[in-house]
Amino acid sequence: MLSRVADTIYWLARYMERTQSMLQVIRISYITSQDEHRYAGWQPLLDNYGDLSPEEIREAVRNTADIIGHLVFDKSNAVSVYNNIVRGRENARAVQDHITKEVWQSLNEYYHTIRQEDLARQTMLEDPVSGLDLLLRQGLLFAGTVQYTMPRDEGYAFLNLGKFLERALQTVDILRLNKLAFLPDRQHPMGAPELRYVLYALYGHELYSKTHRGILDAQTVLNMIIHDTDFPHSLSYSLRQLMRHCERLKDKSLPDNYEQVHFLIGKVKNSVTYSTISVDDAAQLSQFLLQLRNELLEIANALNKHYFGNS
Amino acid sequence: MPENSLLHSYREQSNVWDEMFRAEGIRPEYRHFVSAIENLAGLEMTRKVELAKKLFLSQGVTFTVYSSGEGIEKIFPFDIIPRILNYTEWTRIEAGIKQRLKALNIFLKDIYHQQFIIKDGIIPAALVYSCPQFLRPMLNVHVPHDIYTHIAGVDLIRDHDGEFYVLEDNLRTPSGVSYMLENRSITYRIFPDLLPKNNVQPVKDYPDLLFRNLLALADRQGSEATVVLLSPGIYNSAYFEHSTLARLMGIRLVESRDLIVHNHFVYMKTTKGLTRVDVIYRRVDDEYIDPLVFRPDSALGVSGLYWAYRKGNVAIVNAMGNGVADDKAVYCYVPDMIRYYLNEEPILKNVPTYQLAEADKRQHVFDNMERMVIKRTNESGGYGMLIGSSATEQEINDFKTAITADPRSFIAQPIISLSSTPCYIDGVLQPRRVDLRPFALYGPSGIDIVPGGLTRVALREGSLVVNSSQGGGSKDTWVLGPELG
Repeated sequence: MLSRVADTIYWLARYMERTQSMLQVIRISYITSQDEHRYAGWQPLLDNYGDLSPEEIREAVRNTADIIGHLVFDKSNAVSVYNNIVRGRENARAVQDHITKEVWQSLNEYYHTIRQEDLARQTMLEDPVSGLDLLLRQGLLFAGTVQYTMPRDEGYAFLNLGKFLERALQTVDILRLNKLAFLPDRQHPMGAPELRYVLYALYGHELYSKTHRGILDAQTVLNMIIHDTDFPHSLSYSLRQLMRHCERLKDKSLPDNYEQVHFLIGKVKNSVTYSTISVDDAAQLSQFLLQLRNELLEIANALNKHYFGNS
Repeated sequence: MPENSLLHSYREQSNVWDEMFRAEGIRPEYRHFVSAIENLAGLEMTRKVELAKKLFLSQGVTFTVYSSGEGIEKIFPFDIIPRILNYTEWTRIEAGIKQRLKALNIFLKDIYHQQFIIKDGIIPAALVYSCPQFLRPMLNVHVPHDIYTHIAGVDLIRDHDGEFYVLEDNLRTPSGVSYMLENRSITYRIFPDLLPKNNVQPVKDYPDLLFRNLLALADRQGSEATVVLLSPGIYNSAYFEHSTLARLMGIRLVESRDLIVHNHFVYMKTTKGLTRVDVIYRRVDDEYIDPLVFRPDSALGVSGLYWAYRKGNVAIVNAMGNGVADDKAVYCYVPDMIRYYLNEEPILKNVPTYQLAEADKRQHVFDNMERMVIKRTNESGGYGMLIGSSATEQEINDFKTAITADPRSFIAQPIISLSSTPCYIDGVLQPRRVDLRPFALYGPSGIDIVPGGLTRVALREGSLVVNSSQGGGSKDTWVLGPELG
């Protein structure tokens, strides 16, 4: 497979995974902001997902419609959901002969959905939740189409490498965004409400309440997000998938290149598996998340260098 | 004259050749087709138009127009009434194009080697050397099988007496062949059974013929040769055509950043390391193809490609430097080339052309501007052109000034009244002007022309400009078999 094609497919998957994660975080933030008096505000989200300067953020945090508009629909915000989808679709267009027609059509449809002015108006001015739901559904349609129609070839492997690397990064980012929620002094006899929203953002609330009935406990939540291999947004799960798809490249790569990437994925996987992070030590948690993030980016760099021919 | 409901509103134009009608009624090649559609209700025709549009969109047969930084995909307008050529007409066109292409190919070999045609005084040296597309780096380069013009899209037009004229030879990177293929596949969806009933010859062999020719250029023994299509990328307006052709031939679609030259061999970067490339079908223009030799600011080319080519380590299709043979001023000499190289009389005529470098011819053109088309010698796509009959005083004067300043860059031709053919527009048949671009493939085993081509149509009423960038559309082109000719 051409390096450029592999690169394009990999980024296609990253854009789409990122979009999905962003939309859910924005959706949950909006719900929190309506329903929770201890809501920390949009500021961390704008720091993380936008390209505004600190002054502009201070200006913007007052108006929910503006914030959603900026994060989701703003064409001039280079990292908005809109621009992610545009890039994902352009990538798909460039590698049309390596993805199935159905995958291309689902992305094309996603693009035409987010371009509808009606949708933007509804999301910003009427009911943000149903607008965001509509977009999230397009994302699910894309994921399902990939699963259902793509041949399990090299292209599929790069699609999944991109997807799970991005998912791991997003999980780390969501933890970093909410690390205050895990602090001992934030805990509440009724359970910390912020933790509930962290779980919602990662689609983990149902699983948590089924497995660990009762009041939310910061340590248990953290352990589940890091270690639970049944939880599709846990770090362990993403890294296992990353390893699995990397191994499928073994006979399709130069041995040296394969070893380099395989080694780095193994390294992160082990630092996650053999970690015991206590919520009582805030500094340690911070340090751990930062280190994970850097190691994940190292994998991205290694793929770039050894498979995509960008040194 | 036409009697039924669909046809009776059709008004022919005087002094224009109509492809479907003649004084005594419908031309024989159209009879089957007309009898199949003449009793269709207007509603049914409109439904067919809608169906064609839907098929084009859902199959992504689009070209991209850029405005305000955002690409908008548009479908290339398609008219559902086919343009039909009978077998006799086609045989003549085919023979004429083959003859012309043979001569042009020898000309390119000659002009980049011994230059007999200049020494024998057939073509003035000044004309060749002043052509910006005459590439000095191509002098004495040996190209595989001495073939320069692997793919040509010759533009033909038809004057009021039904005679075909060659308007342009398009020997560089002619485009439009994917529309020829797509138009055909749409036609059999909207007019079931009509193609076999009319004995229409198929065009579907084009990708196979092209691939066979490309493969034959590879100079490698033992292992399978790698053939790639080099595209400028997804922002190019013809990207759809590039990806379609690559898919139909089963070859890799590459961009410049996929290729590198090492030690005068060309490689593509894959996830498994470097793979050698033997044949490049490029859709990037000469001046962009190698920044070390041509335009240094080009991001669409590959550094070092020229030297790999020169050494014979890679074949490039079409050859570099072909522009000198389809320069609009060199075009005047093609009939002379045919006589000089082949000792034959040209089968297809040239449109009479005035070079403006000579003062008395220039004066003649200036005196008759309203009956002339002025063209820049190195432009195509309907740009840099003035049609005297519809230009304003101001435009004419601007052109006169530009011509006087640089007469070599312009030619003048009398306005030829392109033939017209019925188009289904707004629920009725209306005459619109058309041209014809058949695609010729020149390989080591000879020249093949698939029976058909792209018929471009000027959809604006009264317009003579068929280019897609200027409001043109296209039609399916049927060439009938000998039985119905």
